[in-house]
Order: sequence, then structure tokens, then C-alpha cells
Amino acid sequence: MKNTIIQDQGSVQVQEIERIEIELLLEAIYRYYGYDFRNYAQSFLQRRILHRVRNENLKSVSALQEKLLRNPEIMKRLFSDLSINVTEMFRDPAFFQSFRKNIVPFVKDYPDIRIWHVGCSTGEEVYSMAILLHEEGIYEKAKIWATDINPKTLEQAKKGTFSLANMQLYTKNYMEAGGIRAFSEYYKVVGEQVVFHPFLQKNIMFAEHNLVTDSSFNEFDIIICRNVLIYFNKSLQNDVHQLFYESLSLSGFIGLGKREGIRFTSHGNCYEEIDSTEKLYRKYK
Amino acid sequence: MKFTTKLYASIGFILLLISISVVILMNMLEQSIVKMNVVVNELYERIDIASEIKYETANIGREFREATADPENGNNREALNAWEESNLKIKQGIESLKELDTQEKSLDLMEQYTTLHDSYQDMVQQVMVWQKMDGKVDSQAVMVDEIKLTRNRMLQTAQLLLGLQEQEMKNELLRSRDTYNWAVTSIYIYLAISLSLGIGLIIWIIRSMTKNLNKVTTVMNSAGNSNGNDLPRIEIVSNDEIGSIAAAFNAMVSELEAHSKLEKHLLEEAEEHGWLKTKIAEIATMYPEAKDIQMLGESFISKLVPIVDASFGVFYLKSENEAQPYLKRIAAYAFSNQFKASEGFYIGEGLVGQCALEKQAILLTQVPEDYISIRSGTGEGSPRNIIILPVQLEGEVLAVIEIASFHAFTSSQVKLLEEINSTLGMAINSMLNHMRAERLLQESQALTEELQVQSEELQLQQEELRTTNEKLEEQYTASEQKKKELEKVREALEEKAQQLEISSQYKSEFLANMSHELRTPLNSLLILARILSENEEGNLSKKQEEYTRTIYTSGNDLLLLINDILDLAKIESGKLEVISKEVDLYDVQDYLSKQFSPIASQKDIQFNVQLEPNVSNYLYTDEQCLKQILKNLLSNAFKFTESGSVSLQVRKVRTEYIEKQMPVSTQAEYMLAFSVIDTGIGVPTEKQRVIFDAFKQADGTTSRKYGGTGLGLSISREMASVLGGFIELTSEVGKGSNFTLYLPILQSSEILEANSYIEEAAAGLEYEDYSLNEKSEVDDEGSRINEEGKSSLKHKKVLIVDDDIRNVYALTIALEKYEMDIIVAENGREGIEMLQGNPDTDIVLMDIMMPEMDGFEAMRRIRQLPKYQTLPIIALTAKAMKQSREECLDAGATDYISKPIDIDQLFSLMHVWLYRKEG
Repeated sequence: MKNTIIQDQGSVQVQEIERIEIELLLEAIYRYYGYDFRNYAQSFLQRRILHRVRNENLKSVSALQEKLLRNPEIMKRLFSDLSINVTEMFRDPAFFQSFRKNIVPFVKDYPDIRIWHVGCSTGEEVYSMAILLHEEGIYEKAKIWATDINPKTLEQAKKGTFSLANMQLYTKNYMEAGGIRAFSEYYKVVGEQVVFHPFLQKNIMFAEHNLVTDSSFNEFDIIICRNVLIYFNKSLQNDVHQLFYESLSLSGFIGLGKREGIRFTSHGNCYEEIDSTEKLYRKYK
Repeated sequence: MKFTTKLYASIGFILLLISISVVILMNMLEQSIVKMNVVVNELYERIDIASEIKYETANIGREFREATADPENGNNREALNAWEESNLKIKQGIESLKELDTQEKSLDLMEQYTTLHDSYQDMVQQVMVWQKMDGKVDSQAVMVDEIKLTRNRMLQTAQLLLGLQEQEMKNELLRSRDTYNWAVTSIYIYLAISLSLGIGLIIWIIRSMTKNLNKVTTVMNSAGNSNGNDLPRIEIVSNDEIGSIAAAFNAMVSELEAHSKLEKHLLEEAEEHGWLKTKIAEIATMYPEAKDIQMLGESFISKLVPIVDASFGVFYLKSENEAQPYLKRIAAYAFSNQFKASEGFYIGEGLVGQCALEKQAILLTQVPEDYISIRSGTGEGSPRNIIILPVQLEGEVLAVIEIASFHAFTSSQVKLLEEINSTLGMAINSMLNHMRAERLLQESQALTEELQVQSEELQLQQEELRTTNEKLEEQYTASEQKKKELEKVREALEEKAQQLEISSQYKSEFLANMSHELRTPLNSLLILARILSENEEGNLSKKQEEYTRTIYTSGNDLLLLINDILDLAKIESGKLEVISKEVDLYDVQDYLSKQFSPIASQKDIQFNVQLEPNVSNYLYTDEQCLKQILKNLLSNAFKFTESGSVSLQVRKVRTEYIEKQMPVSTQAEYMLAFSVIDTGIGVPTEKQRVIFDAFKQADGTTSRKYGGTGLGLSISREMASVLGGFIELTSEVGKGSNFTLYLPILQSSEILEANSYIEEAAAGLEYEDYSLNEKSEVDDEGSRINEEGKSSLKHKKVLIVDDDIRNVYALTIALEKYEMDIIVAENGREGIEMLQGNPDTDIVLMDIMMPEMDGFEAMRRIRQLPKYQTLPIIALTAKAMKQSREECLDAGATDYISKPIDIDQLFSLMHVWLYRKEG
């Protein structure tokens, strides 16, 4: 009995030490490399950092900190650990269907449609949006700013080239999302790669943007930020929502990830629900 | 006296007076009528009788004279009778007059008259007797005179009597006039008296009535003006109706007073109730605005305290402190630091705790002055009244409120506090529930987000793992393979060395055989055709002769075509043997001149070959190829030139001066340009690229007119590129063309490098012309198929189900290029059968509109077979309609493509759906 208590206390202490180490590491990263991960979700940080510690064959977070400050390569690796680039074309097809049904009719008559795709990752969802807008006949007047913190994934996104491996899933997604043409009209297979038609890139601007440190850069009619805020803690989430609020025109739309929500954020009362399951909201005050 | 009595009495009295006056008047009228009768009847009769007496008196005189005048005659008698009668009448008159008139004077006169009459009669008797005795009257004259005199006296008396009667009548008339006058006067007097009596009576009655009524009215008016309390009463003086009205009024006033008192009471109650309700509502409206319990407490206490005119308030919420129920102060009104100590109470601790324990309000009045003090900028004071209230819901205390006031709490304030407490209880409860739910929701939200993060991380890790795995595997297989390959290469090298000889032998043998095998029968065909066409025996008709000539020329064309195809095949398969050596250009010039001069002279076209002076005699290249290219270009030039000239010019140019974008880069500084210039039909600009493609000519009709296979230019181009050069064309329709062959002037070593570069360039994929709806027709079919793409489709079994044979043909041609195994079915039913016969089918292309069984039905049937549930089926839809697409998907199609089919799109699609199948 006594032993387990001591062990428990020990593990509590280890946890506490680890927490401090992580905080220090983040502070160090911020001060040296300028990346601000301090307000990311605690458990996520812990998992990813420990994952890196293991992969580097180190014993502690402090050891990682030591190496990381001296070796930018390790920072790069941690950085890619921390930027999760899980995405699909027409990810959560119901979202795109709902977008078609509930938002397109509103914006159809706008002279121009400005869309900010936050955390675009390797660009699959941006291209999906471009295809959707094209099919709705409004891509010509749309402008999509696709931003991400990670320049590497942005480079990939700019290519508009994706692996052949996922195309079967993407085709299914496209159909479920209410696609009105043949998905194969938009791409061409070149070896193991699928090249999307260059016209889809015409109105997309890829740019680096850090939600934590950068401010609003335009006023948008639609903001899409799916599965980005889940990596942040509450206070950062609220800061980002403030940023979105400032960047969204009155009666502009915002789309979040399937498991996210706007209700419990600092600006929850400024939005009305358009589709509660697909997390589409409209700013009304 | 009552009103009725008074009215009856006064009206009765007046009626009595009137009836008396009527009786009197009647009486008077009777009297006057009696008097008139007396006057008219009695007096008139007396006058009548008196006047008859007088008349008869006068008569007797005359009759006497007559009777006496002639005693002998008859008349005498009659007169005597009349006289007798008149005397009688006089007697009767006197008699009746005596009865009627009793006056002394008249009686005296009648006595006198009677006496006179008696005496008169006596005398007349005597006379008559005398007359009878003597018959003479004269003798009696004295007597007669006497008679006469008496009679006159009688007349006088009668006259007096008549006068007396008339006098009597006049008196009587005067008397009746007097009576009348008196009666009128007495009526007047009488009327005056009764009138004044009546008026007096009426005035008295009215006055006595109105006086009381006025009194009542005044009181009533004052009652109307008064506010409903202390109404005036009427003093009851009389016993009459007014009296009873007054009594009734008084009773009514008393009722009214009681009623208004009740009403006032009710009003006050209602007001209090209303105040309560407004205040409760005011506070209740605040509940939903509160976001949390803290805010609720604050806004509640800051609202409630001023409402009850209090000046201090604290709100304690029941919570837990060290597992003990604890009343924690969460909000206060007019809070000051001196209460710091009272941050909370345990149940039962202090009055606040006690209140929570008892669940009853505690009211303190007259607390000591230093109990609490409330300060403002201008001073401070001690509230003397404190109320402590428990906030309950269903018997459970949720909170306690303490309020202090300078004034005593009124009952309505206390009531308000109690009422509000119950609503507050509900509000607190729902707020707590709401907060709990909110917290739970937030937690669940956080959890779902965390879940998403983890799932994405997992996905990423999986991806990473897979990549690492793949890499490891790759590395492993790569190293394995390397080893094997090395071994193989070594073996192969050995083998190659042995086989090289044999294979080259085989190859040339095969080609030779091939050409031999083809040419031998063709040659015999040609020879026989020519022999036939000569018709030496003359047994063929003109028509038949024509036919055989056609067989000959067509066969000749075929032969040429076979040669060309063999050449092209050789080049494309890299089997063209390039044997570069020093080539003497003058030899080439000679060869060409010999070849084409006969044609030139035959067609009457000028032909010359010029070598410019700066051109060196020798070029390092393959002579056969060079000759063939130039031959092809020249024969083309002659073919399309009807008149004018054809020339070949050879000159040396610097590489950098060549305008055209070089398809291949060369390190050679100089190039040799062979320009074949003609004055023929020319090539339109848009066709200048196309004509180099296999089987293409500028115009579809061209081949019919000029013949040829259309392979010449393709072969030339391929050969030129094999030699490290290229062909350029400038042309104008109708004026002529200039085909220029550029060949690098190279050292022998450079040629090899150039060749290897060409191969690399060919391997790259051109993807610039990609456009969604336009099909790039210009693209060379061959260049689309890259080796990699080919491999993923290679030997895959594709089932085409389509009834349109053109479509099937087109698809087959296209798919065969990728070395796919193709099986075909003409309708759905056949398709299923075919599929069952070929269980190794990798993909199905399914047309929708087919006879017998259409694509929908076929797909549905296929999907019902467990084996083919994941088999990729691509629906070929004719209509570009969303609906039919959805129908396809419902029926089980994996993807769809609309007709007419873009081959590129189809291949991309097939790549997608055949991915992974290769393992």
C-alpha cells in the first residue's frame, strides 16, 4: 500500500516535472525560433513532444530542448510533429453538401466572394472548395486565401498534385458531397500522382499565416477553419475567434470542423447557427 | 299631514266652493224665472182683462144706441143681444180681475165701476121698458142722457183701471231688474272669495312641499360632492313622503359609506398586490439575463434592496466548504470592508446559518446602533431593521438573503420579499442546472475536440508508420534486388555477349524474312497484275484492263507502304542502325541528281542541286539515312509541284542563328542546312505541324490526288532526330514550300551524347496543353503513353459492355496501346456471363443504354454477386445529367464518365480505380 502511494506521488512528480519541462521547451522555441506553441492544447503538446523525445532516442524533454536549440533539423522535425496534416478531398462530405445547400445561395449574388481557408495543410480541401465553387458557377468571382503555418505543406498544396493512393476515397467523398459532374474531369493521372487541373488554382492564393502571432489581413465573406482550433487551448481558441470575428464581414459565414463548436467560445453569441451538425455559422452582430 | 290628504283636502274644498256657487246661481235663475212668469202671465192677463173691460164698456154704448135707434127693426134685437153679451163680459171681467188684483186701489176702482155699471143697466132697463111701452125713445131723452153720462164715467173708471194695471206691470219689471243686478253682484263676490281661498290653499300646499324637497336636494347634492366618506344626513322633520325619502336617503348614505370603505380597502389591497407583482416581474425579468449564479446574485441583490427601501443587502449562496454545507457570500449591496469577516456561514452558524437551519425568515427590529453602519460620502448611519430570509425550493434552502433598512419593513415589503424568494429559488435552481449542463457540454466539447486531435494524430502516425514501413521494405527489397541485379547483370553480360551475335542475326533475319515474306507474294501479285494489264491476248475488256491496272498501282502503293512501315518501325523501336561515317556530299548530290532528273524532265520542272562554297565536302553522319530523308523530301516536292522548279540547296549555318526553337539542344556550333525548295501547292500554316504525323497529309483529299502513304515525312523527321537534327518547314499556300533539314556538324564522339539526350526528352510527359473540355487532337497519340502509366494498366483485364460497336472498337484500340486484356460483351446479360467466365476481371466499363439488359440492371445484378461487390465498375453515361449519374451510383457504379469519352480522362479514371490492385 505504502509503496503504491509513493509511486503515485512519484508519478505525480514526474508529471509535474514534465509539465514544467514542456513549458520551458515551448518558451525556448518561442524565444529562439519564434514559433509560439505555448497556447496549444496541453495533452496534444505532451504527446507530440514525448513522441519526438522517443524518436530522437532521448531521455527527457530537457534533453530534447538542449538538442533542439542547437540543431535546427530537430526543430524542423518537432515542427512537423506539431503540425498535423491530416486532410482529405471533400473531407466530411456532408459539410460540403451543406455548404452547397446553405451558403452558396446566400453568396451567389455577391459581386465577389472572399474566402479564407485557414490551416489549408496540403490543400486538398481548398481544391475541393474550388471544385465546388466551379460547379456552382461562382468560382470566377471567388478568391480563396489558403493559409497555413507550415511552408512545406504550402509548397505541396501549390502543386495541386496528390497521391493516387487516396483517389478512390476522394471520388467517393466527391460524390457524397453532391458533386454534379464526373470527378475524373478534374484530374489526370501521371504515374503515381494525380495532377489537378491548373484552372482550379487560378483564384487560390497560398500564403503563410500563423494564427497565433499574425493578425487579420483582409475582410472575408467566408472563413473555413476546420480541425485547426482543436489543437489550441481555450484561451488561444478565444483569441483566434477574436481574429476571425474581426476578419469576417457582417453576415459572413464561418465553417468549423465536425467536432468543433462556436457556442462556448468568447464570440459564441455573435453567430447564428446555419447547420449545427456541419458547424456552419453566420455572424449577425 | 300627508301629501295625499293635503291634495285631497284642497281639491275637495275647491270643488265644494264651485258646487255651492252653482247651487246659488241655479236658485237665482229660478227666482228670476218665477218673477218673469208673474210679470208675463198674471200682469199681462190683468192688463188684458182691464183693456177688455174698457173695450166692452165702449161697446155697450154703441150697442145701446143701435138698440134704441130703431126699436122696430131686426137689428134692434141683435144689438140688444150684443149689448146683453157685452154686459156679461164686463161682469165676468170684473169678477176675474177681482180675483187677480188684490190691491186696494184697484178694488176701489172696480167697486166704483160695478156700481156705475149697475146703475147703467138699471137705467137702460127702464129705457127699454119705456120704449116698449111707448115705442118712443124721445120721451125718455133725459134718461138717455143719463145713461150716456154713466157710461162715460164707466169708461173713465175702466181707463183708470187699465192704467193702474199697466203701472203695476212697470213696477214689477223694475223689481225683477233689481233682483238680477243683485244676483250678478253676489256671484262676483262669491267667485272672488272662493278664488282667493283656492289660490291661498294651493300656495300653502306647494310651499310646504317644495320646502322639504329643497332641503333633501341640497343634502343630496352635498352628498354627491363629498368623497364618499362622512356623507351628510337629512334631518327628518316631517312624517310625510319627503320624510320617508330622507330616511331612505340616510339609509342609502350609510350603505354607501360602508361600501366606499370596503372599496378603499380593496383598492389598497389591489395596489399592494400590483406593486408586489410589478416588483416580482421586474426582478423576474432579470433572471434570464444572468449568465451565471454570481451575476444572478449581484443583479438580484442590487435590484431588490432599493425596491424595499433598504440600504444594505447580502446574498449568501449555499455551497460546500470542506464537505460541509456552507453559505458563501457571493453578492452584496452597499458592501463595506467592515463585513469582511462575514464571508460565509455554516448551517446553524450565526443568524444567517440559523435562518438556513430553521428555513424561516428572521426579522430583527431595534438592533443596537453600532450593529452595522452604512456609509455614504456625506455621512453614515445604522439601519435598525434587519431581515434574514431563506431562499428555498421544495423545502431545500438554496441561499440566504440578509437585508437591512433604516425604516421598519412594511407588511407589503415583507410579503414582497417572501414572494420573490420563491421565484428566486426557482431561478437559482435553474441557473445551477443550466451551469451544470453548460459545464458538462463544455467538457464534452473539449473531449470531442481532444478525440478529433487524437484521431488525427493517430491517422498521421499510421501514415508515418506506413511510410517508414514502406521505406524499410523498399530499402530491403532494393538491396536484395540490387544484389540479384548485380548477379543478373553479370550473368546477363556474359549471356549478352554470347547472344548478341545470335540476336542481331535473328533480328536481321526476321526483318529480312518479314520483308521477304511480304514482298514475295506482293511481287508475284504485281507482276501478274502487270502482265494482265498489258492484255497481250486481247481477251480482256477495257474495263477489266482498267481493273488490273488498279490492282497493280494499289499493290505498288502497298509495297511502298510496307517498306515505309518497316522503316518507321525500325526507327521507333530503336532498331534503326545508325552507322555514322564520313559522307561525301558530292556523292549524295550525284545520287540525287540521277534519281530525280528523269522525273524533272518528265514533269517539265527545273531541278538543280547546289552546294554553297563554304560547305565542306564531308559530313559525319549516316549516309543511308541522309539519302533517304533527302529522297523523301524531294519526292514530296516533285509530287506536289506541277510546274516551276525544285531545288536542293546545301549551306552551313551557325547554330545560334537558327530561328526555330530547337527541339533538341546540340553542342555543335555549326549545322548543315539542306533546303528542298519547290513551287508547288504549299502547306497551310495550321497544317504544318500535322503533316509530320504518321498517315497525315495536309488535306484529306490530297492522298487521292497525289497518292502516297503519308509516312514519308514522319520517317524523315524521326530519322533527322536520330541523326541529331531536325526538319523545319516554311510554306505558303500556292507559292511553294521549303523543307529544311538541319544536321549538326559533329565530331564522332558528340553524336552518342546527343542520342542519349533524345531518349530522356522523350520520357518526359507533356502536360501543358491540358484543358478540361477540349481534347488535344494535336498531341501525338504515342507520346501520351508513358512507360510508367502503361505498366499500371498492363495486363489488366477490362470488360467492355457496350452495344455500340464503334465505341467498343475505339476503346479497344485505345486500351490495347496500354497492353490491357480486353473482353467485350454486347449487353448487360452477356456482360454478367462474361464476368462469370472471367473471374479475374479487374475493371468493367459499363454502357448504360443497351438492349436486352441495360447498364443499371446489369450493375445491380453484378453487385448482388458477393464476389463482385468491390469490383470497379465505370458507368459510361450518355447524358450529362446529374440524375442519371445518381442513378448509376445507386445501381452500384463505382464512378462514371460521360460520353463522348475523353480517352485521357478514362485512363486517369482507370488508374485511380486500378490502383493498389497491383499489390
